[in-house]
Amino acid sequence: MAKLLLYLTLATSLIPLFSVAFSPENPTDRRVLVLVDDFAIKSSHSLYFGSLTSRGFQLEFKLADDPNIGLQRYGQYLYDALVLFCPSVERFGGSIDVASIVDFVDSGHDLIVAADSNASDLIREVATECGVDFDEDPAAMVIDHINYAVSNFDGDHTLIASDDFIKADAPVLFQGIGHSLNPANSLVLKVLSASSSAYSANPKSKLSNPPSLTGSAISLVSVVQARNNARILITGSLSMFSNRFFRSGVQKAGSSIKHEKSGNEQFLTEISKWVFHERGHLKAVNVRHHKVGESDEPAIYRINDDLEYSVEIYEWSGTSWEPYVSDDVQVQFYMMSPYVLKTLSTDQKGHYSAEFKVPDVYGVFQFKVEYQRLGYTSLSLSKQIPVRPYRHNEYERFLPAAYPYYGSAFSMMAGFFIFTIVHLYSK
Amino acid sequence: MARSPLRFLVLILAISICDAAGIFHPISDSHRSAALDLFKPVDGSFASLEEAYEALRTFEVLGIEKTAELSKATCKSVLGTLESSSSTPKDLFYALGVNGILKCSSKEETFEGIISSLQAVVRDANSLLDFYYSIGSLRLIKDQTSKTDLHLSDAEGTFRSIKALSQSDGRWRYSSNNPESSTFAAGIALEALSGVVSLASSEIDQFMIGAVKNDIVKLFDSVEKYDDGTFYFDEKLVNMREQQGPLATTSSVVRGLTAFSSVITESLNLTGDKILGIAKFFLGIGIPGDTKNFFDQVDSLACLENNRVSIPLILSLPSTVISLTKKDSLKVKVNTVLGSHAPPLTVTLVRAFSSSARDNSIIENQELKFDPQDAVYFLDDLPASFDVGEYIFVFKMLVQDSEQQTVYATGTLTQVPIYVTGLIKIENAKIAVLDSDLGSVETQKKLDLAGESTVSVSANHLQKLRLSFQMSTPLGNAFKPHQAFLRLRHETKVEHTFVVGSSGKKFEITLDFLGLVEKFFYLSGRYDIQLTVGDAVMENSLLRDIGYVELDLPEPPENASRPPPQPVDPYTRYGPKAEITHIFRAPEKRPPQELSLAFLVLTILPLFGFIIGLLRLGVNLKNFPSSAVPATFAVIFHLGIAAVLLLYVLFWLKLDLFTTLKTLCFLGVFLMVVGHRTLSHLASASAKLKSA
Repeated sequence: MAKLLLYLTLATSLIPLFSVAFSPENPTDRRVLVLVDDFAIKSSHSLYFGSLTSRGFQLEFKLADDPNIGLQRYGQYLYDALVLFCPSVERFGGSIDVASIVDFVDSGHDLIVAADSNASDLIREVATECGVDFDEDPAAMVIDHINYAVSNFDGDHTLIASDDFIKADAPVLFQGIGHSLNPANSLVLKVLSASSSAYSANPKSKLSNPPSLTGSAISLVSVVQARNNARILITGSLSMFSNRFFRSGVQKAGSSIKHEKSGNEQFLTEISKWVFHERGHLKAVNVRHHKVGESDEPAIYRINDDLEYSVEIYEWSGTSWEPYVSDDVQVQFYMMSPYVLKTLSTDQKGHYSAEFKVPDVYGVFQFKVEYQRLGYTSLSLSKQIPVRPYRHNEYERFLPAAYPYYGSAFSMMAGFFIFTIVHLYSK
Repeated sequence: MARSPLRFLVLILAISICDAAGIFHPISDSHRSAALDLFKPVDGSFASLEEAYEALRTFEVLGIEKTAELSKATCKSVLGTLESSSSTPKDLFYALGVNGILKCSSKEETFEGIISSLQAVVRDANSLLDFYYSIGSLRLIKDQTSKTDLHLSDAEGTFRSIKALSQSDGRWRYSSNNPESSTFAAGIALEALSGVVSLASSEIDQFMIGAVKNDIVKLFDSVEKYDDGTFYFDEKLVNMREQQGPLATTSSVVRGLTAFSSVITESLNLTGDKILGIAKFFLGIGIPGDTKNFFDQVDSLACLENNRVSIPLILSLPSTVISLTKKDSLKVKVNTVLGSHAPPLTVTLVRAFSSSARDNSIIENQELKFDPQDAVYFLDDLPASFDVGEYIFVFKMLVQDSEQQTVYATGTLTQVPIYVTGLIKIENAKIAVLDSDLGSVETQKKLDLAGESTVSVSANHLQKLRLSFQMSTPLGNAFKPHQAFLRLRHETKVEHTFVVGSSGKKFEITLDFLGLVEKFFYLSGRYDIQLTVGDAVMENSLLRDIGYVELDLPEPPENASRPPPQPVDPYTRYGPKAEITHIFRAPEKRPPQELSLAFLVLTILPLFGFIIGLLRLGVNLKNFPSSAVPATFAVIFHLGIAAVLLLYVLFWLKLDLFTTLKTLCFLGVFLMVVGHRTLSHLASASAKLKSA
């Protein structure tokens, strides 16, 4: 009986390890831990969760202060991604704290953080770790008296219709707190920013000092892609994920167009695809180089050789690897600094190649592809290759310029031969 | 969830921000479209009869005509369940529930077999759920057939055994061997008891019913309350086997309460406020995203819609934003929870006051008029002294028919925040540059804030910039907007925001550049001026680039702070880099080939000169040995020399040094021997000649 129990425990504890999970070959996240303040979020935000579940994610809902939650067990992470829909949590339950969330991201896992007005210090701290600073005033909300969404019930203009992002069909509804990004941080990126007439303040109190966040410096939704390609989404509004905002129509103040449906669903679904690595994940395979006209990869190149470098780049579409088509992939031939930097030409099927001449400098070089594009995981390939100078017998022989010298030597020799005969035998 | 009512409150507030101050809206079309989205049958049927019942009941309550397309597949499984002998009371309950809506079968013989087995279950049941499903099924059969002789054999006994599970605080246990009591079970028990009463052949003992009524009152003592006046029930126990949320628990109690109150003759003495509060709780949830929650909400509201305790009436406003320019009038709607019309009411605007000055009532005790066409109550005309601003209106409603006043729960007072918006006049906008010492005006320009024109001024650090304008409400009162910012943006995108202060109608800001040089990071140059004026009640909020000021600030001292870095456009940060091509070392300069060939010819020419000279001198080979052996040696000697020279040519053409030297070694020795023989022969020959 005890044995059976042991087997059962073993089996159940190993199940998460065997399930389909994040891997380099299949980079989409699978297991997602959703921490909520209240299980009612599960039903009030069900459209968003439903879109995740329908794409094959296994969502596990836990209360943020559940004492039994943990991100890892026996050194293994149990989840591929974490969703924090718990703006008011003061302390996480179980073994989760800010440091463990940072470790989770540092090991390449993804994170979605949604705060709200009166967000707790804990959530602000998590955001700060990700390079995002929420407005410090706890009662502040983003207010925009010009680009607000027309509503019969929201008179204080905190419901913002923002269309300040790429290819907006309909504006995105936002109600919550704003944040600012450190301009020196190159990893964090504004996705949805407030308009220049917006400001972040408490709508109930009069302003005497200028608010700390004004204008388009306010970011409403930001994303981070860490150097290890872990992706983070941070927003100051939990309600923008809610069914009410997903379903609600939107009419921007001053505009006569009334959209049947807000852009929230499309916007947040596409962003979640990105965050969970269903989009914009690249891989490079078949990195090859050889001399032009040959096909074998040499161990060393000689200066002034003509070589061909090729690589295949694929993009993960969520289900399969599709050829990645772009015209700005560049290869560097690099020793301390790039000697050659060339844009690779593509056959539109994921194959990229470039031909160039090895510089006339010898040493240990590297083929480097540093591909960093907005919205894509960064590719960093490098391959070391030595370059040698000419050997002594590889220089040019019989230079025309030296013909007079050759000629004089040989005519001398011929003359000598004739002279010997003449000298010895002439009478 | 049970231990976090506070969190639930936060959530409710979060998801129903528009309802924040206690405005609740009855079920509307958005619920209907959401229901159609949510209850999606797969291939015309639902996964289980329970789901089918929930969907059909929701559609029925909301008045959605969808039964026809669902009936075929669903009826098949209903009949299958009803005819199967292995169906549990729970299956039968939901099958009969679906049957009641779809009218799949009303043949009495279908039910005959079920009735007897259900009655057997009722007799032997000892857990609450068994009672609930079997009695519920019997009651559904009674409703669906014309059978009049469907009675419980021992209604009194059944009633007692269910009542035996009740606890002193009004809650119920699921079974006699389960000590934990639950509020959810109380709702189920009440529903089962109401079934017993309606199925009883004779009157149930009034004392028993009185005891249950007492239980209900106790149960309602444990009702919990939110700040916005909503009431709900929640489980007190944390480790229940099946944890029910507040929604499911409250819904269960409401179903039980309404069912029980409909079968007893006398009324329950519960206050209408609690019923209204519970109705508001369901409405405050908004549109749940979960089918179960959706069904609980809609079904409970349907129970409350015509219950016998008191029918809640919900006061709502089509719009809480009233525009003075559009001459909007204040409209109030009163509906039942499902959105149908209320009986004739008197709706009074008890008080209206500005949210900043609470003591000053602007309107008091004004009765609203009824517009039968739109079924709205409206205030004829707002008083002339009504200005833009944020107000709180307090409404009271009263059912006109005094006999019906107890039937409806209207609540006491309803507070609604109202935003009255209008066009704000902005006049006399001026921008001026002042001299610092005297305050005398150097340049002054008028601004047209409505138009597009821009101004340009220039100033140095000893001067001041003054911007002033006047704002007044449509009634000519002073108006202070929430947002009145002046923003100066330098060419390098460094921004400075100032709040424009006001005194009365006049808004003025004076920027003393002497005190601001540090803040401006000593950056001279062009500053764009942007004025933002906005408020929640201002319809013409504006964001205007009014021009620019050319500032001449002193050179920064050494330890001056640097301006903060500005964000870079991410597209430039990640774009492709410029290509680099290696510059190869240029090859050494060489003379043209013709020149080399010409010199080659020149170098060969002396050889020809030499040969011609020799011929001219008349060289001969008379000294060549005539005898065979020396001649052979001489030939071999010269061939050897030729071979050495040929070796040199070969060395030039292809051979390496080692091969050449080796060969030269052999050739040298050979040449020495042969040369010695040849030369000694020649020497002896010449000696002979001399001696002769």
